[in-house]
Amino acid sequence: MLPCLANFCIFYRDRVSSCCPGCLPKCWDYKYEPPCLGPPPFAGAVVSYDYLVIGGGSGGLASARRAAELGARAAVVESHKLGGTCVSTVMWNTAVHSEFMHDHGDYGFTSCEGKFNWRVIKEKRDAYVSRLNTIYQNNLTKAHIEIIHGHAAFTSDPKPTIEVSGRKYTAPHILIATGGMPSSPHESQIPGASLGITSDGFFELEELPSRSVIVGAGYIAVEIAGILSALGSKTSLMIRHDKVLRSFDSMISTNCTEELENAGVEVLKFSQVKEVKKTSSGVEVSLVTAVPGRLPVMTTISDVDCLLWAIGRDPNSKGLSLNKLGIQTDDKGHIIVDEFQNTNVKGIYAVGDVCGKALLTPVAIAAGRKLAHRLFENKEDSKLDYSNIPTVVFSHPPIGTVGLTEAFLFSNLNIFALSFFTLYVHTHTHTYKKMFFFFSQVVGIHMQGLGCDEMLQGFAVAVKMGATKADFDNTVAIHPTSSEELVTLR
Amino acid sequence: MAAMAAALRGVGGRFRWWTPAVAGGVRGAAQGAVAGQRDYDLLVIGGGSGGLACAKEAAQLGRKVAVVDYVEPSPRGTRWGLGGTCVNVGCIPKKLMHQAALLGGLIRDAPHYGWEVAQPVPHDWRKMAEAVQNHVKSLNWGHRVQLHDRKVKYFNVKAGFVDEHTVRGVAKGGKEILLSADHIVIATGGRPRYPAHIEGALEYGITSDDIFWLKESPGKTLVVGASYVALECAGFLTGIGLDTTVMMRSIPLRGFDQQMSSLVTEHMASHGTRFLRGCTPSQVRRLPDGQLQVTWEDRTTGKEGTGTFNTVLWAVGRAPDTRSLNLEKAGVDTSPNTQKILVDSREATSVPHIYAIGDVVEGRPELTPTAVMAGRLLAQRLFGGSSDLMDYDKVSSLAGRRLQPGEAESEASSSGVPTTVFTPLEYGCVGLSEEEAVSRHGQERVEVYHAHYKPLEFTVPGRDASQCYVKMVCLREPPQLVLGLHFLGPNAGEVTQGFALGIKCGASYVQVMQTVGIHPTCSEEIVKLRISKRSGLDPTVTGC
Repeated sequence: MLPCLANFCIFYRDRVSSCCPGCLPKCWDYKYEPPCLGPPPFAGAVVSYDYLVIGGGSGGLASARRAAELGARAAVVESHKLGGTCVSTVMWNTAVHSEFMHDHGDYGFTSCEGKFNWRVIKEKRDAYVSRLNTIYQNNLTKAHIEIIHGHAAFTSDPKPTIEVSGRKYTAPHILIATGGMPSSPHESQIPGASLGITSDGFFELEELPSRSVIVGAGYIAVEIAGILSALGSKTSLMIRHDKVLRSFDSMISTNCTEELENAGVEVLKFSQVKEVKKTSSGVEVSLVTAVPGRLPVMTTISDVDCLLWAIGRDPNSKGLSLNKLGIQTDDKGHIIVDEFQNTNVKGIYAVGDVCGKALLTPVAIAAGRKLAHRLFENKEDSKLDYSNIPTVVFSHPPIGTVGLTEAFLFSNLNIFALSFFTLYVHTHTHTYKKMFFFFSQVVGIHMQGLGCDEMLQGFAVAVKMGATKADFDNTVAIHPTSSEELVTLR
Repeated sequence: MAAMAAALRGVGGRFRWWTPAVAGGVRGAAQGAVAGQRDYDLLVIGGGSGGLACAKEAAQLGRKVAVVDYVEPSPRGTRWGLGGTCVNVGCIPKKLMHQAALLGGLIRDAPHYGWEVAQPVPHDWRKMAEAVQNHVKSLNWGHRVQLHDRKVKYFNVKAGFVDEHTVRGVAKGGKEILLSADHIVIATGGRPRYPAHIEGALEYGITSDDIFWLKESPGKTLVVGASYVALECAGFLTGIGLDTTVMMRSIPLRGFDQQMSSLVTEHMASHGTRFLRGCTPSQVRRLPDGQLQVTWEDRTTGKEGTGTFNTVLWAVGRAPDTRSLNLEKAGVDTSPNTQKILVDSREATSVPHIYAIGDVVEGRPELTPTAVMAGRLLAQRLFGGSSDLMDYDKVSSLAGRRLQPGEAESEASSSGVPTTVFTPLEYGCVGLSEEEAVSRHGQERVEVYHAHYKPLEFTVPGRDASQCYVKMVCLREPPQLVLGLHFLGPNAGEVTQGFALGIKCGASYVQVMQTVGIHPTCSEEIVKLRISKRSGLDPTVTGC
């Protein structure tokens, strides 16, 4: 039997590893020793593998591991820490706690005065993340996947080859999964822009900022603004238009903007940063607000101790010397791939954020695995279907969405929309749910409310299967839940 | 708000006409009742979830409808308003108290997440009960308003049949009214059973009818029973910090998947609920200090045990509320064993124009949403020209087998209807249990995929996730039709609903695996299930 990643026992209770006693987490138990493949053969000065993966994020690791399970000799090149960007929704949970704390009184808990200590959660989170890094490292070692530390760059050798720290590696199949990094404006566009941080820097903060300004209208901006505000930082969210999440369904976009404001986040609409200056008490942010039909107004926000840019992500494709092989990118540097993750160069593939499509961890993982099956199991039609990918935004309350939006479907639609109170005493948080049907088939579900994150997954299966309104009507509700509203829409 | 209040006053005003003259007038009309001249097109007996859904649907279809509802006080004297078991003494108050208990757990987690909360945080039962009761009362009021808006007549009277088209209602003060209708729906539900043979049970014990309406904390509590009602009550009582013991005769959650059931009780035990297994109570006595002394027999050792408690809660099953209906006057047949009403697939009783829905019916899952759906479909068949039958057997119809008429299913899960047990760690399920799948299809034809996972929110406070487990029961033959799904973990209800829809549509294992996960949630574990039991591999989920 081939080694399988599930044989790594990580969180399992009460069992201590025989191979690595006392190490954290409790055990590293491997039931089936993988076949020992021996050291990789040398071809001149070039080390050769069956599969080379550049980037040790979720997508790259998943693909390398699946390839190794299928018998390929694989290596992962990583310049940083394993695990990539997918780490940090722990913070969201913390903020959720603060919401529950407000309700404690209603449920009979007395004298529950909550103050928040940022350091505690930061230490916990760092410990969790570094544990994950260790887990990844161990998983790769156990699966006999080589880890090559350093920056990878393509060479101009006739056979696709990469160079890492002066050494050359080659493989018939090379996957680029280097991910992306948050973008921030250039000093020439906004003087003082470098005084701000990005989402990467956010997770490095040592203290909870007392005055925060978040710039951006995407899901990262919304999530971070929600976290900071819920934890007690005075937070402003600066957006260029009048709503956040503009690529989402219009109902979600409108509702999420309102919910942010209800939660105490100051939403600065039609606003852009003009200049950032360092002062003795933090930074001073100058902005211009240009409401359509009115004259632009300049204002400043002083004493800001956290200015955070959340204005998009740039692909990590620059240092790879893609031009040596002529690998095509778009003008932002995203590698262009087809539906099978092929680049324009044979034997070179790309998955995840570096391609700029559906920047979600499970998408990268799924695409990476599908690719491994295609390359090493001869499953020629193995590819990820990018339609109907469910997405959750961990805003407060969370948003769940799958399928097409109203803007996309403006004609030929049949909307069942309703607004109601979730079964949750005295919080009066509105939950919004909307479904779109196209000739009675469900093509889109959009919702915001408590529990919508856990709610969506099952419905995504049904949407993918082509469920109809009749199927929803025929499904018995689970009472009392918030999700039953979706099968009782009338 | 003001408009609603005015509407309610309107309702109250309308029903204050209870004078002998008017009542006599109605009686006069009823006595000569023949087809076309009866008072109502539809009379619904019982204002619970099923009855109200049926009445509202019929009214929406333009029919003249009346609802009669009356709550006989419990032996402890607890009484409540319109809306039935679910609203007043079931799902709604239960889930709210469950939420109160979950909050307690979150307060204990809070310091790990950086919140400086002085521990322990005491809990005030009185405050919780008042908040929950206020919510329930607002629902009672909402139901009244809805009936009024749809022009459904509501009578707060206790109903009994006079003949097959006529019902006599007796109000609290003893005043009587006769109502006649072309179609009559019985939806009186059920009430908790008392073990009458146990000395002191009725005098000193309470049931789920009372627990949510207690003014004072029940204190140290003994819960007798192994049903989901027993486990849910014990779960939230433990969660708000009360010393709680569950006494069960045999297995927990009979009819549900037994592997999941034992994980549920294992989790409860590890969180402080005591379990007395294989025990049956024999006597309850009140001690001079007001405490209750319970004597029980341990059936494995044959020894007798005793303990003292402040409260004894019986959760030993429910009985249909059919006694005072005078069903024999209308000729409606009931099951001699259970006293539940016998119906066919159209919900019709032995009298063709008298129907029954919900918990009062033999062989139906005792669940609010099934009663609601059955009530609504019935009204659509009667008045909307529909022929859609309620499908009580969601999964076996896909798997090629239907329940035979009259074949009783004691618990919801075995009939495939999605449901969730709100124990401290929630258990959501839809479709067949593993045992049921094996007995229907044979061990060789069934593949079970499973996983032990750790919810992300458990990692920071270092919560034990030993019982967080999910399994999917499939046919082995490709494309591996999904027969059942069982999920144990936080938010199980929200997780299960969507999958219930997928399974209802005939989802296969392959289709579930083709769905992209939502990261990081607990529900994504379901679309990541790769380890089958047959493989013998460790089902523990690793990493991101």
